[in-house]
Amino acid sequence: MSDGDGLAVDMHRLLGFLEAAPPVADQDTLERLLAGRLDPADAPAGHAGLAKFLAAATAPGSPEEWAGEQLAMAEFAAVVQSPPPTLVPRRATMLSKLASVKAAAAVLAAVLSVGGVAAAATGLLPGQAEHAADRIPSTTGAGAAGHGLGQAAVVDLGAAAKQGLCRAWQAGQGANLGRRADSPAFRALAVAAGGADNVAAYCADVAAGGTADGQGQADATGPDAMAAARAGLCQAWQSGQSTDHGRRADSVAFQALAAAAGGDDKIDAFCRDTTAGSAGVHGQGPGSSPTTVPPPSTTVSPPSSGPPASTGPGGHGQGGPPTTTG
Amino acid sequence: MIGPSFPAVLGAAQGGDEQAFAVLWRDLQPAVLRYLRVAAPAAAEDLAADTWISVIRGLARFRGNERDFRAWVFTVARHRAMDWRRQAARRPGLSLPVELLAERPAPDDPAEAVLEAQSTRAALALLAELPADQAEVVALRVLGGLGVAEVARITGKRPGAVRVLAHRGLRRLARRLEAAGLARGVTR
Repeated sequence: MSDGDGLAVDMHRLLGFLEAAPPVADQDTLERLLAGRLDPADAPAGHAGLAKFLAAATAPGSPEEWAGEQLAMAEFAAVVQSPPPTLVPRRATMLSKLASVKAAAAVLAAVLSVGGVAAAATGLLPGQAEHAADRIPSTTGAGAAGHGLGQAAVVDLGAAAKQGLCRAWQAGQGANLGRRADSPAFRALAVAAGGADNVAAYCADVAAGGTADGQGQADATGPDAMAAARAGLCQAWQSGQSTDHGRRADSVAFQALAAAAGGDDKIDAFCRDTTAGSAGVHGQGPGSSPTTVPPPSTTVSPPSSGPPASTGPGGHGQGGPPTTTG
Repeated sequence: MIGPSFPAVLGAAQGGDEQAFAVLWRDLQPAVLRYLRVAAPAAAEDLAADTWISVIRGLARFRGNERDFRAWVFTVARHRAMDWRRQAARRPGLSLPVELLAERPAPDDPAEAVLEAQSTRAALALLAELPADQAEVVALRVLGGLGVAEVARITGKRPGAVRVLAHRGLRRLARRLEAAGLARGVTR
């Protein structure tokens, strides 16, 4: 191979640059280019274009590429706080399970109930919590809950969250159900319904029971947490508009945004109001996420048991269930 | 790359720390998205989001260093891309061309855009022009920052084959870019 390369180099020298083909770089040079260990400026003659290509391909990230941060963080929060049954360590106490279910419900409500439906879902998802309900006095109320919401919503915040989830679930039934049913939000719905198979029946009940109209509630002014969630979604919406507008509008979160705005075509106006209303929140760039402003108090601690750095991700390379839909 | 602080960041993220996870996400998301723009251009954003969902779910069980972590994330991304391609092939009405047209308003030569503006999107479009196996290996090595051994493991190829494919891909790109450069020189 290297003999052939050497020959080609010689030939190229003879032919001069009139031939389009550049001199053939040796394998070591190519390896170093691939590994990013060779400064493109030091690339061999005839490789200026390749050097530019590599620089462009590995350029620092752009805000457009970080546009999905809000959604990724919401997923992270939802998953961390409600590990699926198989992931719950066996020694986890009922108390901590309960706490995580509550927290997950709050996150779900924040993401899905843009505009104030189900503010601060202090209500527990049914089915999970009933065992421990007698132990824990039903407190943990986000005090602001019910701010501007109807009486019924205050009495049963869980119901409002349920309705929001069920609406989103029903809206998504036709299309991409497989992928959507996979999301933490819908997994929580499945848990509440007592199994994925029961979601349809469960949601039918919810729809029959709750006469409250979603749009009407969405008009209510939610507490600040809702405003932050809305601002986050709006920001994500606006940053995504130029490129993949259509596809994103399909996601659960943006469906919720559309519901809050009163229709797909009203999101723009709705978000203009939102960003105009919250003066400081209109942050640019990937780093400034308006919804998360905790101080950098992270006492960063390495993995406690410090297992040996086994090579390779091994078993979980597949990550997630096989997606055989169809 | 996060570097020496990676173990601490990973540990904190595994413990549920959102800020730590954000560090991991911001570090890898551009590379994952770019890889997917080559592997499954019409669905890159969605597949990147799906990739992260899987990563988030498996995070607590992950053991390894930063190289292992990157290799794992790209393994997941590749699975998502392959699933998508399989489904796209089976889909009758193929919505793909429309979306591609929508994303690329101008039919400019990506090689020109790389040379003139060092456009990242153009570089990815150029990479996607390579034969699929070359494109994949070059993308994993250059965009993913992965070594020969890791790419071999991810793609199920022998290290020697990975090397050859990557070199062929790079040479083809070099020729393509030099030709575009010469054409540019002639027309000006």
